[in-house]
Amino acid sequence: MEVAIQTKDLGKRYGSFWALENCDISVPEGSVSALVGPNGAGKSTLLNLLIGLSNASAGESQVLGRVPHQREDFLADIGYLAQEIPLYKSFSTHDHITMGKSLNKRFDEEFIRKRLTDLSIPLDKRVGKLSGGQRAQVALALALAKKPKLLLLDEPVAALDPLARHDFLSSLAQAVADGGLTVVMSSHLLADLERVSDHVIVLASGKTQLCDDIERVLKQHKLLVGPRSNTKELGDGLRVIHETHTAKQSTLLVRVDGKTKVPAAWQKHEPNIEEIILAYMGQGKDLNEGSAK
Amino acid sequence: MNWFAWRQHRKQFLVVGIILALYAALLIPTGLHFWHTYQSAVASCAQNPANPSCTDLSGSLFQPTIDQALLHLAPLAILLLPLILGLFWGAPLLSKEYTEGTDKLVWTQSVSRRKWLTIKLTWILVATAIFMGAFTALATWWAHTSNSLEMNRFDSGVFFEQGIVPVTYGIFAVALGTMFGAWFRKTMIALGVTLGLYIGFAFITVPLMIRPHYMAPVAVTTPMGPGFSDNIPQGAWVLTRGMEDQNGRVIGDVFTSAPPQCQQVIQQNQVTDNNGRVGIKIKGGSGNPIDACLNKAGWHLVATYQPSYRYWDFQYIESGISLSLSAVAVAATYWLVLKRDA
Repeated sequence: MEVAIQTKDLGKRYGSFWALENCDISVPEGSVSALVGPNGAGKSTLLNLLIGLSNASAGESQVLGRVPHQREDFLADIGYLAQEIPLYKSFSTHDHITMGKSLNKRFDEEFIRKRLTDLSIPLDKRVGKLSGGQRAQVALALALAKKPKLLLLDEPVAALDPLARHDFLSSLAQAVADGGLTVVMSSHLLADLERVSDHVIVLASGKTQLCDDIERVLKQHKLLVGPRSNTKELGDGLRVIHETHTAKQSTLLVRVDGKTKVPAAWQKHEPNIEEIILAYMGQGKDLNEGSAK
Repeated sequence: MNWFAWRQHRKQFLVVGIILALYAALLIPTGLHFWHTYQSAVASCAQNPANPSCTDLSGSLFQPTIDQALLHLAPLAILLLPLILGLFWGAPLLSKEYTEGTDKLVWTQSVSRRKWLTIKLTWILVATAIFMGAFTALATWWAHTSNSLEMNRFDSGVFFEQGIVPVTYGIFAVALGTMFGAWFRKTMIALGVTLGLYIGFAFITVPLMIRPHYMAPVAVTTPMGPGFSDNIPQGAWVLTRGMEDQNGRVIGDVFTSAPPQCQQVIQQNQVTDNNGRVGIKIKGGSGNPIDACLNKAGWHLVATYQPSYRYWDFQYIESGISLSLSAVAVAATYWLVLKRDA
């Protein structure tokens, strides 16, 4: 499978604060990646670097085989939806379509008109007067009308009510089903991402905690429950991602590499993706607290 | 992209266009009326020079309050317009995109930031030049009467309201506002900084400290006594007038600085009025003994001025300065937009 996005040691520093550090991700072409992490984990920073809205302080990245840059040929292949879904409030939807036509060499006007009409969004109304869900649909349609190969979405559903969120994700899933599109979508709403994505990237404290195919992630992780014990007694090849202890028992989320056997004393469970992601997000938090001490 | 720039700024253009129409509606009829009144006064004085008002036309014509108000206030528009454009066109031009997040919308379409900025700046600066040009052309035409009446268009009061200088100041104010908008990314801060800097530059630094020195002024020396003004040609912009002693020192107060032999003459002619104020009273007749004494001591009157034929040189020099500064502001804007992160 071809790689759509590849980063190596990518970092972004603001003053002395690293918003993103040593970020290594690899996103296969045609995948739908969920970019998750707590607030301030560096999700927006990463997306901004990938489309060239900001410049990296360290490391490198390749997006669709090119170094992100503010150039027309690079931008033409990427659709981008910024956080808070910015649109020109005094422009009507129709004006935004004309804008898209005026600012892009490749822009499918017929497609966007049909799409927005099907969603019964009034084209002559100022977008400032549309609902949040409608604005998100207009912004998504604008990004899709570029006929991009890659779609980067920064928390597009964060501000939407559950119904609008559902509609937005359906629209997105339909666009993905039409084919030829790689999507990276950030969010902290895990349940939503699970519905549409097949790949997951977990960022915490500015670092990549996990970047892999969801199927593989599920296979590689086990939830172990056993009597309270020292986790160091576990064999090689088992990496404890997260542990919780009560007086009598310990619960461990471990990553199993290769064919390592889990000691028989432990009860083995299959965790769901949400539990795994939360474990990795918690890891970042622990790391953070550790470095603060 | 051009459609987009037009769509974004058409409301601003419309508002200033309406103001321009109102300004024209005020200036064209009054300008014609003033000019005819002045022309017929000049014609009747040519036939009838004995008419007392003919010796001081500027003191006798257009005396009603409404005319005076118009003559003083209408040119003010040219003084304030660059500032208004700088604050309402320049400052929000880029800062509004940043605060509303639309920079991230427009910079992720397939247009490079450089091209986007170039087209946006071209539209706003060309519109500024056109509108300022129209306003200033009107004001310059309109001021023809008062220029003729006062026989001066060079004085710092009107230099700045006519010709080509106001157009370049409009461009400078807009470029300055745009630069600070890109710098601070907050419209209110950009507005405040532009306001302060523009007022300091255009109303204080340039007229008081820079403009008088574009070219070395002409100096005239006259003996103490009346007739001082006769040596300054009409239409000149007078920079200084004063007394100098035999060593070329500038004298502030005759009473304390006069040489001892003249102090005596001063005291002889000194009178005290009913309120106890001290003054000089010269008993009529042949000349002023104080002036005679001071002349003998080597004192003289000195004036420096810029002659009227330098008017257009000064206009070009000042326009060159404000356009150069505009170019610097535009270059800084490019740097701020292209090099900094969104």
